[in-house]
Amino acid sequence: MRRTADAVVIGGGVIGAAIAYNLLKLGMKDVVLCEKATFCSGSTGRCGAGVREQWGSKGNCLLAKASIDMFERLADELDYPHDLEFKQKGYLILAHTEKEWTQFQKNVALQNSLGIRSRLCTPEEAREIVPALNTEGMLGATYNARDGHANPFHVTRAYLTAAERMGADINYFTEVTAIQVSGGKVKAAVTNKGTIEAPIVINAAGPWAKPVAEMVGVDLPLFTQRHQILVTEPVGWILDPMVMSFSIGIYCQQTPHGSLIMGIGDPHEPKGYDIGHSWQFLRDMSRIITRLLPVLKDVRVVRQWSGLYTVTPDAHPILGGVPGLDGYLQAVGFSGHGFMLAPAVGRIIAEMALGMEPFLDVSNLDAGRFERGEYNVEPSVV
Amino acid sequence: METKLSDNTRIEDHPILDFPARRVVTFTWEGQELRGYEGEPIAAALHAAGIKVLHTSHKSNRPRGFFCAIGNCSSCLVVVDGVPNVRACTEKLREGMRVERQVGTGPAPRARE
Repeated sequence: MRRTADAVVIGGGVIGAAIAYNLLKLGMKDVVLCEKATFCSGSTGRCGAGVREQWGSKGNCLLAKASIDMFERLADELDYPHDLEFKQKGYLILAHTEKEWTQFQKNVALQNSLGIRSRLCTPEEAREIVPALNTEGMLGATYNARDGHANPFHVTRAYLTAAERMGADINYFTEVTAIQVSGGKVKAAVTNKGTIEAPIVINAAGPWAKPVAEMVGVDLPLFTQRHQILVTEPVGWILDPMVMSFSIGIYCQQTPHGSLIMGIGDPHEPKGYDIGHSWQFLRDMSRIITRLLPVLKDVRVVRQWSGLYTVTPDAHPILGGVPGLDGYLQAVGFSGHGFMLAPAVGRIIAEMALGMEPFLDVSNLDAGRFERGEYNVEPSVV
Repeated sequence: METKLSDNTRIEDHPILDFPARRVVTFTWEGQELRGYEGEPIAAALHAAGIKVLHTSHKSNRPRGFFCAIGNCSSCLVVVDGVPNVRACTEKLREGMRVERQVGTGPAPRARE
């Protein structure tokens, strides 16, 4: 491991990988990435793998749209020899309550104004998109054909190998234990394998972002929470888009491989670092998904697991620096949708680190917005 | 009731296990009519008929057959009466079953009432 660097990136998930790649692409020479376990071992490798533009806030819409633009050419850009399993077969988001339906009309108007071509569907139109769907009790849905799926492991690996080709020093089982600051400037990252002197340290530590921020005295309004998920055996084609409902708190998508990935939020889930899994989840998930997609009654579950959401008070990420602390940047608190925002965030954070103007203005996603009271909660989350 | 098949691939005398007489049933494999014992694993009846390739792999379409024999490995998946992903090693043979070699993921499951 190198002892000096232009920047140290903390975290070997998709966010850290995308930042490291973009730093090198934009001209930084000496980038060191420290991951305390292996790549994708935190939230990235446990996520639902969906990518969508259909958000309820301008900030999330723009980040997601820019990211999908990048996902479309990512395999070429990163010169990755394997399939990223990127598919654009849409997201179909179901409305079962009046409140949801009203919100969706606002969401689609906002999305359309930002160039996202989502549309409202009647239950009949939803069934044309997903013939297996039970539309009983459904008021309507929104659909956007550009949304879809990508493989989080391949995407992260693609960023890391591209970064390595350009000279990144990527270190696994290397845990940052302290960040040295002097005179309001970042000086070094201290790890269990030695100290790396660097003027820039970037916190992309996912669920561990809060303890990492504490190393520089920054108190982030984050909490972590378990979200459970399962995968079925691979089967023949059942559905194209991700089927999602916010009021039921559920999502389900068939991957290009044929298996179905699905999850359901639990409003009673305590905060913390538990990543065990429960029988209750299997039971609730099976009951609810077989009501929406009855054909899944005969599809077997092969595995269940869980991962952590790192949640902010407004379900938007916290991006950028901290006043009075030169050289510290963070890309944290993605609230369950970091994977799909990674391409745009990787570039934005790299641009900030190099003193450039970010290609998207994310100044309203700084850490200070909560104290200033300048934030609006994203309504469209599971 | 016919209880004896002339194939010679089955163990009939075993120091511990008994193999009581069982009814002979007719089923089809890829449309071809075959016979086996009622209640034996589908894989046993197919093996007795000399059929070794039960499934082909997802990506490269390579042959897959009888392997773990206890329903764990997904090597012997077949399509039974249109239902994919049936484990031939643990599913019991019934009269009139329509059994087919599964190619990759097989056909999509159909909605059932």
